[in-house]
Amino acid sequence: MGFWNAVNLSFTLAKADFKLKNEGSYLGILWYLVNPILTFVLLSLIFYDRLGNYIPHYLAYVFFGVIMFNLLQKTLLESCKVIFANPVIKSIHFSRGSLVGAIVLKNMFSHFFEVALLLVLLVVFNIPIYGLIFYVFILALFSIFLFGSALILSSTNMYLLDLENIWLFLSSLLFFATPIFYTFGGQVKLFYLNLFNPLYFFISLARDYVLYSDFSRVWILFGAIFYTLLFLLVGLLFFNKLKGKFAELI
Amino acid sequence: MAKEFRIKVENVSKKFKIGYKKRQGALQRVLSFFSGKDSKKEILVLDGVSFEIFPKEIIGIIGNNGSGKSTLLRTLAGIYSVDSGSISVNGKVVSLINLNVGLKERLTMVENIFLCCSLFGLPKSEIKKKFKSIVEFSELKDFVNTKVYQFSEGMKQRLVFSIGIHCNPDIFLLDEVLEVGDRAFKEKCSVAINKIVSSGTSVILVSHNLSLIKKHCKRVLWLEKGKIRMFEDAESVLKKYTNSE
Repeated sequence: MGFWNAVNLSFTLAKADFKLKNEGSYLGILWYLVNPILTFVLLSLIFYDRLGNYIPHYLAYVFFGVIMFNLLQKTLLESCKVIFANPVIKSIHFSRGSLVGAIVLKNMFSHFFEVALLLVLLVVFNIPIYGLIFYVFILALFSIFLFGSALILSSTNMYLLDLENIWLFLSSLLFFATPIFYTFGGQVKLFYLNLFNPLYFFISLARDYVLYSDFSRVWILFGAIFYTLLFLLVGLLFFNKLKGKFAELI
Repeated sequence: MAKEFRIKVENVSKKFKIGYKKRQGALQRVLSFFSGKDSKKEILVLDGVSFEIFPKEIIGIIGNNGSGKSTLLRTLAGIYSVDSGSISVNGKVVSLINLNVGLKERLTMVENIFLCCSLFGLPKSEIKKKFKSIVEFSELKDFVNTKVYQFSEGMKQRLVFSIGIHCNPDIFLLDEVLEVGDRAFKEKCSVAINKIVSSGTSVILVSHNLSLIKKHCKRVLWLEKGKIRMFEDAESVLKKYTNSE
């Protein structure tokens, strides 16, 4: 199966999954927004008084962090079981990577509704919306990073029964370790720790470009590109090494 | 000049681990790694299998349960990797194994046609071109917008076979596919198979139904405990196989 056929298959699978998830639910799209909105409202209520004066556009700052984290968490959680839960692997030889690509694409579709809400926030708080053009590029980079990470998790899950639980636990840690609703301030150790956290680079890049129109921190851009390439490379190597045994393990 | 093959299988062997716990928790995996308690028992499912298949041939594969028929088909389709030996394939393989082609029960027939054809590597433009023919062949024109969970098994079989035969196979692998369904549709499938075979496709038919094998196949491969017991003309293989039962 050629590259474009695999991409086409990913789109078809993503479309089918999206449709199935929202089948018979008029509120389907709203459900995508409930979790980030509630998290955003809760964090804003708790921290706005303390941090709102120090962080410019604090509400948009928090919402941006929340929706990017939400995209990462949901995509990687779903990717854990995508291979294992597909018995068709035992019957047809097709690009296994397309299943992983479909998970990324499906969550991207959902993410667009969150971005629409972000757009509303930008307008309400009088933040220039042209910065969202850069988000298209950042999102493309982020989706490649997610694809690479999803390749690693989906293949590891074939061997580790509790990977979903491990990922849920790790993603909770990641939520608090990443500056989603706070800034580093003077916490140097936390800053250095976050240099090993790819999500920090993507969220910072998005906020710099979209919220603050600040293009000065080039190292953030290079960090995001570095982690994208690293995870894609490791993911492809890992997945291609293990994919031959997937059908036997189901 | 040697005849060009569709599939060339050379000394292929395939093992499966027995009692092997496929998925373990992280802690369990670490413990079993260090304690060495992980199962080392293996079973040889295919043992030194070699044969060739040529264009315009219909080959039958027979054997008792557990003889390695489905494993052989999956290795030919590229679903399983081989432990030793090699498989050379000339052309596009389309496999219908136990009628599982990834139908999504909650999607309509139209959506499933697009989905399943994509799984078989057909681009969207080609699916659109073949759509009408797929529906017509399946004789399910009145159900195109019906969700597949409302289909009977026979209707699903019609749909699956119709999708498979329209996906341009050079090598068509059928595992227990023609066993179900009504007589008229089985006959229609037979005609369709003969038609694609006359245009150059090779078909491999795995079945326990010996009359079906006899009807379609010129050569039959008899597998026993992962080894080829016989691979000759259908009549002599079926005769010996029937006597051995």
